[in-house]
Amino acid sequence: MSKYRDHKKYEDYEFEDFLSDEFFVQWVKSPDENNSHFWEKWLTSNPKKRDLVSEAASFVRSIHYKENFEFSDEDYIDVFENILKAEVGIDSCNSIKPNEMKWYSIFSIRGVAASLLVLFCLWAQYEAFNFKTDPEPIPEIVLVKRSNPAGQKSIINLPDGSTIHLNANSEIEFPREFSNDIRLVSLTGEAFFEIEKENRPFIVQSGETKIQVLGTSFNVKKMGNESLYVALITGKVSVDTQDGSQMTLEPNEMLVIEEGGRFQKTGFDPKEVIGWKDNYLVFKTSSLPEIRLKLEQWYGVKIELKGDFDEKWTYSGIYKDEMLENVLRGICMTSGMNYKINKKQITLTNPK
Amino acid sequence: MNNNPKQQPNSTFIPIKHLETIKVFEKKSDCDIWNAFNKGDEMAFNYLYRTYVQDLYKFGSQYSSDLSLVKDSIQNLFIYLRKKRGTLSEVTNIKGYLFRSIQREIIKNIKANASLELFEENFLESHFQIEVSPEVSFIKKESDVQRKIQLQRGLNQLTTKQRKAILLFYEEELSYKEIAEIMNFSEVKTARKLIYRALAGLKEFIKPTSY
Repeated sequence: MSKYRDHKKYEDYEFEDFLSDEFFVQWVKSPDENNSHFWEKWLTSNPKKRDLVSEAASFVRSIHYKENFEFSDEDYIDVFENILKAEVGIDSCNSIKPNEMKWYSIFSIRGVAASLLVLFCLWAQYEAFNFKTDPEPIPEIVLVKRSNPAGQKSIINLPDGSTIHLNANSEIEFPREFSNDIRLVSLTGEAFFEIEKENRPFIVQSGETKIQVLGTSFNVKKMGNESLYVALITGKVSVDTQDGSQMTLEPNEMLVIEEGGRFQKTGFDPKEVIGWKDNYLVFKTSSLPEIRLKLEQWYGVKIELKGDFDEKWTYSGIYKDEMLENVLRGICMTSGMNYKINKKQITLTNPK
Repeated sequence: MNNNPKQQPNSTFIPIKHLETIKVFEKKSDCDIWNAFNKGDEMAFNYLYRTYVQDLYKFGSQYSSDLSLVKDSIQNLFIYLRKKRGTLSEVTNIKGYLFRSIQREIIKNIKANASLELFEENFLESHFQIEVSPEVSFIKKESDVQRKIQLQRGLNQLTTKQRKAILLFYEEELSYKEIAEIMNFSEVKTARKLIYRALAGLKEFIKPTSY
């Protein structure tokens, strides 16, 4: 047979050998008991080839038609009906020629039987199609909007069983019922997602960016015009950026996308990034403007700064379920500032 | 290569009768299904329609952006097949057979339609374009994004024939034998060579960086 393949053993396979192997492609695209049994066994005895095989499999799966048109439900039924109608010679629309059957040929016994059979089939089809062809209102998508003002957090349960911790000053919008093939929510602000694993992808839209997952837990934060932060705890997420590129995150990785589109990956401290959902107020070498913003958001207060402040000064500390006054006391103790609370209005002064 | 029906995203809209049909036929061989259809089994026809109409539409629309022409061609093909029931010859791979048939039907219709651009035996550049879809595990690092762009560039440089073969092989999961038949090659190894050479041309773009 071919010199390209048949003299080579799988253990000597290079990248393009895997890619031109029917049995390999079959395993990647339509794994079943037989091919999986073979390839999994083979991988166990050829562990060095594992990376190569997974890269080759990725390539196979990434090839798709660019022009990818879906046959709509209307077309599906339209064409189906036309095919059946053409059969019995009912006057059909467009270009279909009815069967060239003379009327008298119907009077043969076989002809009558055949016509009855076809009519029966037609009737059966109509019966089966009935609940579609009845004018069925397009299901209206009812959107649910939940928002938190400053000083308030909430937990939201989604129809698919997923849970969202919505932070203060944040808003989330989602359909009351997810569609059959996608779970899409849009977020302004910050939320922690615990997503139930299932086949429909779960997509978080934040500004122009889409974050896609199957089942996983992760944090998304975008406050106003600030950068977007996506931090992954478990599972895998992929992020489509405005410029069309795609990034994936592994657990404990955080993706930061600046307003201009520049992005970078970093690690992160879980307590600092997602502690908020368990009521941990975390400062980690935070500057005064950062502290101010965080406190305003957390407690729903307004903070006024009076006097000169050292720009290099930072503060670190963790508070759990703490009253605002205790937090202010802690901050002021290390900084020498004074605080004054007047209902929702806080004043921080630096006497120096 | 595979006889499994593709899962359709609109499955909930399909009448229950069709779902039962799938259950009856999905374990049967292509040969048996085709024979049942040839003998006039309406369920077998339902199964064929349900299983392949979406694939035929996708494949057909690679030839023409005139989607109503593609739709009419599919309609004509099924009408023809139903008319010829009882006289159809044996088919061992239904998908391959239907692809060959729809290809012929569409090309015939494009040629018949004088208002459309003249169709050459050599495909137009725009036919069978490939897109590298974001495959999650493929892109792990920022450098991989670059690699994906490179790969896309490499794929765009292939000839239409090579692109068609690659799509039939990976996207449609057809075997070399079926690809050779669809592409009118007299020998199976021509299809194999075509794909192997296309891959060799892409080697620089697709070879794992770590390897």
